[in-house]
Amino acid sequence: MISFFQAAVLGALQGVTELFPISSLGHSVVLPTLFGWDIHQNDPFFLTFLVATHLATAIVLFLFFFQDWMRIFRGLGRSLRDREIAPDDTDAKLGWLLVMGSIPAGVIGVLLEKPLRSLFASPTSAAIFIAINGVLLLGAERLRKRAPEVATEDGSDQRIARRLTWGNAFGIGAAQALALIPGISRSGATMGGGLLAGLSNEDAARFSFLLATPIIGAAAILKIPELFGSQGDGLRGAAIVGALFAAGAAWLAVKFLLRFFETNRLTPFGIYCIIFGITTAFIVAT
Amino acid sequence: MNQRNWLAILAIVVGIILVIVGIVYWVEPASSLPGFFPGHDATNSEHHIKHGIAAFVVGLALFVFAWFSLGKKKSAA
Repeated sequence: MISFFQAAVLGALQGVTELFPISSLGHSVVLPTLFGWDIHQNDPFFLTFLVATHLATAIVLFLFFFQDWMRIFRGLGRSLRDREIAPDDTDAKLGWLLVMGSIPAGVIGVLLEKPLRSLFASPTSAAIFIAINGVLLLGAERLRKRAPEVATEDGSDQRIARRLTWGNAFGIGAAQALALIPGISRSGATMGGGLLAGLSNEDAARFSFLLATPIIGAAAILKIPELFGSQGDGLRGAAIVGALFAAGAAWLAVKFLLRFFETNRLTPFGIYCIIFGITTAFIVAT
Repeated sequence: MNQRNWLAILAIVVGIILVIVGIVYWVEPASSLPGFFPGHDATNSEHHIKHGIAAFVVGLALFVFAWFSLGKKKSAA
């Protein structure tokens, strides 16, 4: 089982690493091994614990962008009523881009989650994939299509809606499925996809966070019965502690990252992942 | 009929099939699913609820695509 201290550490870790492009799943596989904790990612109680921390992260993201989500919902409603997405309706275009991005991630997730998790369950493979995630982040920065757009009088949502095509959104959504492999970051995949589609770091991060909310929320909601069923017995106290720490950490992480990406790139996270991944791969393998 | 309309009709047909597939996932255990369905497992008596939701949601998305495609084009002001 998970102690309250472990729950607090793992909750805070999940809240931060879910949004930082460094793989929450990879870290939650590797770090318990490094700390010598008897917690493994495929343990039923750990999966149930993760439901609570993911749900907390999704709620925080939804509340953080609450005003934006309300605008997006109204935009979706307008477009359905008018049976078209008006060229100047940024909220409607952004909303449908998010729908387009969520569908492939959801479908691939449903089909491949269990096989991929069990195939790459070991801490060593997670550490190696964290290093690969670092290479992907550096590659996305290097291969980005064109120079990032400089800030104009347009807001971030206008730039995203203008720049991204439906195909881009679908591709970015499909890239999220890479995160089913422990070690590959969901936010890293979507931010990298955004860069390759021509978004700036700031806009790619914003689109990544908006895209994260439905997919993390839906995955958590679908597994809530496990938390309240027999699998949650003896775990709910730790799950609440973990969820609270995850919520606080996620709030701070999203605030930090939105400011960080106004002027910075994915490069430091890529370097961190390569160093951390290679180092921990050696440690856990020996 | 133009290509856009044909695509919309195709989307409706595939959408209906996917909604039905979603319902099949919800009502039939994995062991009773047709062999070509992802998740079919002769030894598993659980229901693949998430597979059903995925099929249902993609079906709805295709209906939305058809809704926009068959919508009246507004004349430019």
